[in-house]
Amino acid sequence: MSFFGFGQSAEIDVYLDGQETRKTAEVKTEDGKKERLLLYYDGETVSGKVNISLKKPGSKLEHQGIKVEFIGQIEMFYDRGNHHEFISLVKELARPGEMIANSSYPFEFSCVEKPFEVYTGANVRLRYFLRVTIIRRLADIVKEVDIAVHTLSSYPEMNNSIKMEVGIEDCLHIEFEYNKSKYHLKDVIVGKIYFLLVRIKIKHMEIAIIKKETTGSGPNTFTENGTIAKYEIMDGAPVRGESIPIRVFLAGYELTPTMRDINKKFSVRYFLNLVLMDTEDRRYFKQQEITLWRKGDKLRKPNVQSPAIMAGTQNLQNTQLQTAHLQAQQAAQQKQQQAEDDNSDKEPTTKQAMVKEDFQRAPSNSQDATAPREDAFDGRLESPGDDSPESERIQNMTREAGDGQNNDNGTENLE
Amino acid sequence: MVSPVEEQEKYLHDALGTVKAQAFHMKRALDKNKLMDALKNASAMLAELRTSLLSPKSYYELYMAITDELRHMELYLVDEFQKGRKVHDLYELVQYAGNIVPRLYLLITVGLVYIKTNPALRRDLLKDLVEMCRGVQHPLRGLFLRNYLLQCTRNVLPDSPDIEGDNPEGTVKDSIDFVLMNFAEMNKLWVRMQHQGHSRDRQAREREREELRILVGTNLVRLSQLESVTLEKYQKLVLPGILEQVVSCRDAIAQEYLMECIIQVFPDEFHIQTLNAFLKSCAELESGVNVKNIVISLMERLAAFSQRSDSIGGDGAQILQEVQLFEVFSNQVSSIIANRQYLPPEDMVALQVALVNLALKCYPDRIDFIDKVMLSSVEIFQRLGLEHLESHTPVAKELQKLLKIPLDTYNDILIVLKLKHYAGLMQHLDYYGRKALSIYILNNTLENETIVPSAEEAEQALTLLNTLVTDKNEHPVGEMDMEELMEEQCLLARFIHQLRSDVPDEQYLILEAAKKILVTGGPLRIKYTLPPLVFQAYQLAYKYRKVKDERWEKKCTKIFKICHQTITALVKAELAELPLRLFLQGALAIDRIAFENHETVAYEFMSQAFSLYEDEISDSKAQLAAITLIVGTLEQISCFSEENSEPLRTQCALAASKLLKKPDQCRGVATCSHLFWSGKTQASHGEEVHDGKRVVECLKKGLRIAKQCMDISVQVQLFVELLNHYIFFFEKGNEQVDVEILNQLIKKIKEELANLESSDETEQITKHFRNCEDYGKMLTLLTYHAPNIVAQISKVKFKILRLLVCNNSN
Repeated sequence: MSFFGFGQSAEIDVYLDGQETRKTAEVKTEDGKKERLLLYYDGETVSGKVNISLKKPGSKLEHQGIKVEFIGQIEMFYDRGNHHEFISLVKELARPGEMIANSSYPFEFSCVEKPFEVYTGANVRLRYFLRVTIIRRLADIVKEVDIAVHTLSSYPEMNNSIKMEVGIEDCLHIEFEYNKSKYHLKDVIVGKIYFLLVRIKIKHMEIAIIKKETTGSGPNTFTENGTIAKYEIMDGAPVRGESIPIRVFLAGYELTPTMRDINKKFSVRYFLNLVLMDTEDRRYFKQQEITLWRKGDKLRKPNVQSPAIMAGTQNLQNTQLQTAHLQAQQAAQQKQQQAEDDNSDKEPTTKQAMVKEDFQRAPSNSQDATAPREDAFDGRLESPGDDSPESERIQNMTREAGDGQNNDNGTENLE
Repeated sequence: MVSPVEEQEKYLHDALGTVKAQAFHMKRALDKNKLMDALKNASAMLAELRTSLLSPKSYYELYMAITDELRHMELYLVDEFQKGRKVHDLYELVQYAGNIVPRLYLLITVGLVYIKTNPALRRDLLKDLVEMCRGVQHPLRGLFLRNYLLQCTRNVLPDSPDIEGDNPEGTVKDSIDFVLMNFAEMNKLWVRMQHQGHSRDRQAREREREELRILVGTNLVRLSQLESVTLEKYQKLVLPGILEQVVSCRDAIAQEYLMECIIQVFPDEFHIQTLNAFLKSCAELESGVNVKNIVISLMERLAAFSQRSDSIGGDGAQILQEVQLFEVFSNQVSSIIANRQYLPPEDMVALQVALVNLALKCYPDRIDFIDKVMLSSVEIFQRLGLEHLESHTPVAKELQKLLKIPLDTYNDILIVLKLKHYAGLMQHLDYYGRKALSIYILNNTLENETIVPSAEEAEQALTLLNTLVTDKNEHPVGEMDMEELMEEQCLLARFIHQLRSDVPDEQYLILEAAKKILVTGGPLRIKYTLPPLVFQAYQLAYKYRKVKDERWEKKCTKIFKICHQTITALVKAELAELPLRLFLQGALAIDRIAFENHETVAYEFMSQAFSLYEDEISDSKAQLAAITLIVGTLEQISCFSEENSEPLRTQCALAASKLLKKPDQCRGVATCSHLFWSGKTQASHGEEVHDGKRVVECLKKGLRIAKQCMDISVQVQLFVELLNHYIFFFEKGNEQVDVEILNQLIKKIKEELANLESSDETEQITKHFRNCEDYGKMLTLLTYHAPNIVAQISKVKFKILRLLVCNNSN
């Protein structure tokens, strides 16, 4: 901290109350490494002590005051200079004066609002940290300590299943169903695919979890897609009438809660991409957004005893029953949670009734080049069914061009 | 170029190499308690099963190698769990595997460990596993995966009877659901193989399917091994479940195999109670399915079962009584035949064959069942418009089989005759077929010495055999094989001897009926078939004589009238020697029986014989034989009055002297001489006539004729023969024959013998002569010195004479 190699210097150490017992969470740093940080929730008080030890005992340290700040900020990687602080709280620890001995200053930010969860993505980072500054004339002595914040959500009030009939005319008609539209991070996606018509030779089918990170706004919007997981759910070619179970455990993947328009700076959204691959390596896919949320995991039971690990795949009624059962169970937990987390997130729940939607064949390479590939799919998401040439409301599934190459609407080449 | 086989070997070798390496690492990791690493290695090992390059055979090898290694993992986990070191969320953990095939193998392995260590999870886990396996839709991989599931769970399937309330350990019903579901899915996959790939590879594909079928069938085996599957459960859950799948899969190979499987794996007691359901499904199977085999195999099993339980008694027999096995099969078979138009006729008949077999085995005393089958077979043929099936066609062969069964079982033609529709069914065979069958029937009857004891049955039998009896119907084109004809007619002739009744009147009716039918046979056949009939008739006449009921004489007259007609029929067929003999035989019989007016009848028979001799027999040898026979017969007959016998004897002598060749004449006349010695007439009251003068006349005539022979050796031969006769009569005490005459003759013979050139023939004659001479000498001596011994010797004379004749003919 001493640029000139003379004068008194001090070391700042921040001690947070209960840090020995507090839970920690793994947070990715900018360079991709992971570190464990103390974990706080929204509304929790952040308190502790700032210990300042002088490097040269005996000589005094002159300062213009000592303060501690609690900062939540969003950093855009393409705009390093500008940090958007959405929270900035300051506590004065010492007035300007002289320090002659190691001193310790307690501080407390009581019931701090922490509306967002820490996040490190491809283009953006959201972090919380405490900053202790010893203000000096020439060079301040600064110490920053990052903390982790998880936002817990209450059980969504509405959590309909996603059910949809999709296909490519006269080629492939399937009906798929995911038991929910909102999953917590340790949840299990249960569902099934029902084949109504199969005229292509399918090789296998997989579900991919895709993360879409959007930063900026207007013309400066950047979107970064990443495939978090690829999960084969079917091997071989089914025939009409076949129903394939889906069960994906989310706990094993690196997921964050869905973030929508965080401080008008960025969004992180998740999609389930159902991909069918035919014997000529053409891919047919359908993306469906799911909402991920974080549930307080204090009450999580070991799965071994829970029937949830295996039930729910047999058939859909079963699934719904199971879900209903679970929800009843969880409603009780929810009350508890609400009592604990006074600041529970009221996420707007969108109703997602089962839609029988339309589904177009994606333009292949040989087709007119002016037809943008994404249109069939993305356009659909915006306004389902509207721009379909046919009036029937079956949603299009996208077929990727025959070369199986990567394209930019969220799927990657499997190899 | 690498051949496909080598290629397979290479792929397999590579895969096995990977498996070996990964398995090694896995085991090492397990030894070090590094479960996560072990799971990773297991997953990598299992990833080899994702291949599409291997043929079913190679895939099987790979599968075996891998599942062998997986057992280490299983054992390790069970061990750990039992020690209480449970790995949390293991069931979840293995589901993170990205590829479905390794994931499901691991899931099954772990699931099994969970079930073994925590039975409370059993029901749900079983459901979950069988459901999750749907993810593999590739036939080969899916079949093996599900086979692994079935293998793993074979010892943990719940097998306790249903109880009230919720039971997380599961009951047998859960097991049934589990296996049925697995079965249905495997069957679908197996059937799907048929429709993949190019159509030119069909044969190869079907062969591959054959190789894999055992995997599907194992499901049924598993079901049959559940001890708590009671009859009720089988009826309500198991069988309907299987049948529904079998019928709906619409695949001939699968249907045929699975139906066969059902029959083989489940106990007979179940089959008996579920016949209707099973057979109904049979009728719904695909056209390519050999329903016949399935039904027949079931019938055979149940028939065997029936026989077994009959011998032990107990429940089985009772069930059999409750279930009208035959009716059920009969109805279902007819509905199968009705519903399956494309069923080849031979299969229809084969089904009938099986039905008959069943009836015979289960209900041996119910002939009406067999008749019913015959009737329905007739109906089938009528509906199909099949007439005169050519004998080499499969359907005709089946029909032959069908018709032979009752015969083979009962070995009794009478029972066959009781079958009303047997003959009608037989009519559907062509000429050769019927003939072959007739011969078969005959052989059977003869072998078993079955006696046909009534006219009605005799008539039926002969009608049944009408291809052999008559030639009215469609005559085969071309030459008839005489040898074959002879053979079959001999059989028939033997059969006629089986037509007999102990009651003479019945026997009469039998003969009358048989005659009526047999005379239609045409000259070629009656030659063989009528003689036995005639002899039967003669025997009957004897019988009447023995019984002597009040009207026996009239009855005998009638019999001989019929015989006369019958023999006349033979005459009309331009036969001579045979009727001649029959007439003579008849005359003899009449003479013995001595009924009212028998002399006339006998005379008629004799005269018929004579007229045949005169009109029909032209060959000189035959003539000699015939005249010898006539003479012999006449000699035996005693019923003639002088008025009748004199012309006959004279006629004989005349006929003999009119023979063409001198030696024949000589011999004939010599034979005739006996007529005047040992012949009997009414006048002599049955005593021999002993007309010595006429005897010597005949012999002298013989000598005269012999002297006319140019060939000296023949002459000597004849002399010697005559000497025999002389000695005979001398011995008999004919006073007209004295030593003088004998010596003259002997002297004459000696003279001539000296002139003969030595040859074999001469040798013979000389020997013959010496014997005669010795005998004569001895007789002469004895006559003088010990007359009582002569009487003794005369008792053995016949033997000696025979000896002489033998020497002569040699």
